[in-house]
Amino acid sequence: MNYSNRYAINLTNLRLKFPGEDSLIFKDLSFSVQPGEKVLMLGPSGCGKSTLLQVLSGIVPNSIELPMKADEINLPDSWGFVFQDPDTQFCMSYVDEELAFVLENLNIPRSDMAPLIEEALKRVDLHLENLHTPILELSQGMKQRLALASVLLLEPVVLFLDEPSALLDPEGTKQIWSSIKQATADKTVIIVEHKIDLIADWVDRVVLFNDHGMILADDSPSTIFKHYQEELKRYGIWYPSVWDEYKESESFKSMMHEREQVSSFEKILLNDFHGFRGTAPKIFAKKAVAKTGDWIAITGENGSGKSTLLLTLMQLLRTEGIYKVNGERVIQKKRKKQLPKGLSLVFQNPELQFVTNSIAEELTVSLHKMSKPQAVNYAADLMQLFNLPNSGTRHPYQLSTGQKRRLSVATALTPQTDILLLDEPTFGQDARNTFAILEKLEQLRVQGITILMVTHDMEIVKNFATSVWTVADGVLYTNNEMVGGVFECLHGSHLDEKHGYSK
Amino acid sequence: MLAWFTPRRETWLFKVNPALKFIIFFAFLLITLFNQNLSFAVWQAVLYGILFYGFSGYSMKKLALLSIPLAISFFSSALTIVLFGKGESVLWQWGLIKISEESIQHALLLGSKSLSFGFVGFTFLLTIQPILFFYAMMQQFRLPSKYAYSFIASFRLIPAVTEELQIRRNALKVRNIQFSRGLKGMYERLQMYTVPLFAESIRRAQRIAVAMEAKQYQMGAARTYYYPTRYSLMDGVFLTVMAIGLGVTLMLAFWR
Repeated sequence: MNYSNRYAINLTNLRLKFPGEDSLIFKDLSFSVQPGEKVLMLGPSGCGKSTLLQVLSGIVPNSIELPMKADEINLPDSWGFVFQDPDTQFCMSYVDEELAFVLENLNIPRSDMAPLIEEALKRVDLHLENLHTPILELSQGMKQRLALASVLLLEPVVLFLDEPSALLDPEGTKQIWSSIKQATADKTVIIVEHKIDLIADWVDRVVLFNDHGMILADDSPSTIFKHYQEELKRYGIWYPSVWDEYKESESFKSMMHEREQVSSFEKILLNDFHGFRGTAPKIFAKKAVAKTGDWIAITGENGSGKSTLLLTLMQLLRTEGIYKVNGERVIQKKRKKQLPKGLSLVFQNPELQFVTNSIAEELTVSLHKMSKPQAVNYAADLMQLFNLPNSGTRHPYQLSTGQKRRLSVATALTPQTDILLLDEPTFGQDARNTFAILEKLEQLRVQGITILMVTHDMEIVKNFATSVWTVADGVLYTNNEMVGGVFECLHGSHLDEKHGYSK
Repeated sequence: MLAWFTPRRETWLFKVNPALKFIIFFAFLLITLFNQNLSFAVWQAVLYGILFYGFSGYSMKKLALLSIPLAISFFSSALTIVLFGKGESVLWQWGLIKISEESIQHALLLGSKSLSFGFVGFTFLLTIQPILFFYAMMQQFRLPSKYAYSFIASFRLIPAVTEELQIRRNALKVRNIQFSRGLKGMYERLQMYTVPLFAESIRRAQRIAVAMEAKQYQMGAARTYYYPTRYSLMDGVFLTVMAIGLGVTLMLAFWR
């Protein structure tokens, strides 16, 4: 038997570094995969897992040039790669064109293309009435399945998946993994992913990396999840029982002990409230109230109007109807829309909110009313509260994803802020960062800040929110009017008994 | 926005090979550019006007709307030359303003040229599908596929960038960023918008490029085409029409 046939992939003593950095990412790393194996690579963010995936596929150094060398390197002849971001995998505008692009690259005659395209979509369970559908109209989960379909057209022996569900909501995550399992039964699959509860028992082998890009453990999933829980927790991996363990932890219990409503003062009141994009009505609320110290989770399907609701509360869109903040009616002027006092909004992409060149400046730039030393002190407090690098001189873009997200929340907190609007603040974050952000928000809530937060994560809704608003087809439903759905899953939880919601 | 650009009916101009249409229009505009004869320039503008108003297949309302920028460019380029152009036989003078026969002629020449460019440009854009244009350029005129696909991919990115611009605008409002007045404010604004948008766009472009290569796109490799484009009878019709158009305009301009 030929040596290269025994392994699907084989790599000995890989050395690799990023240009401009002193230390190597990998130092003498050896790694091999059997044909047909399903391998999951876990490790802290920044440990080089994604880079390794790119080396194993040949993207490094063929497409991305990095200085590297290896004693021996046997890479697969045919492979496919699904990336993390659903919006940056396609170069064409329509579903059929994108799949055809792959076939064009393979030099397949035009007459054979149509049946192959249809078959590829069937393999990933993507059923479209019209193949000439704009990719823009697909949900994020559907886009990832399209990415998988286009990769399957390459008839790959090995499939590389680089966090394919990191940017998907729970529904999309379910869809992409079921498609992957269905379509890749006979293939070698190598996965990097943090959200692993749907695949933990599907993979044959788990490889655990440490902070220095070294393999800490390489074993069956059951062994790894049993013996390396401490590392998994430290690296922020969403392993299957992470929420259960967190709920048992001292920090969570002490936080939730005697959790009480801060006050019954009505911070926000909506009555027959409409929000518009241009002239089109996009969101309607019959009646909704948020009180001091409420933590309201806003849930609903993609595109139902959750983010629009936040924009209307912030008065960035045209609104009609009664909207009171702190008991005062917000009147929208036609020409110059004024932002209501006390509200602040944190958008999903932190980078689009940064306006200065350092963390410290970022935290002081909105403090117009404070004297300079006061502002500096205030910023120092925030940096400590949010675990940001305390020199404060780093450029916001140089922070890690978790730090960026925490900084973006911190920037929203001026001394005047007492209502915080957040658009999926934990989205795409690892477990450690998610719990860190949630704990900070709980601290703020106890101090009397009202939190309105869009989220898809039912665990957050169950364990942190004090009430739930649901948006469906542009209509806002609050706790009391809701039948079934989210509220039912809340029903009977400890929060319910404590606060007696909706009774 | 894109829905606006659906024609009322697809005229024969739609069936012409888009790459051929581009080359021919380009050649005609070169003639327009270098021509110095007023009457020929006027007749050429008329010819392109007939194509634009008669055969683009769009409703008169939309065409009228598109005519506004054309009229503006006609008058703005013509007026300056009428009022300040050089000339011997002065018709009217007041201070710096001097209208002469020559300046009027020059103005009309320039105005017709800018009209011609507008008509041809709009006629071309209104009667092609961008994707077919790039496919035809690859197939009929051997445009390297890397250029064609980078244009096609950049079309895809336009909605994402406009959305990001909107988010950035809102984020700056929420962060309560106030800009200075005047030039300094313009500079501040430019900086506030371009840095994050560029950073994001460059990253996005890089990721798409890697994804394209991961789908085994290779520069210069032989490839097939999902949209085969070829020459048809309509291309003959188009060439004939353009040739006759050129002949007639030449005759009208120079026949004494």
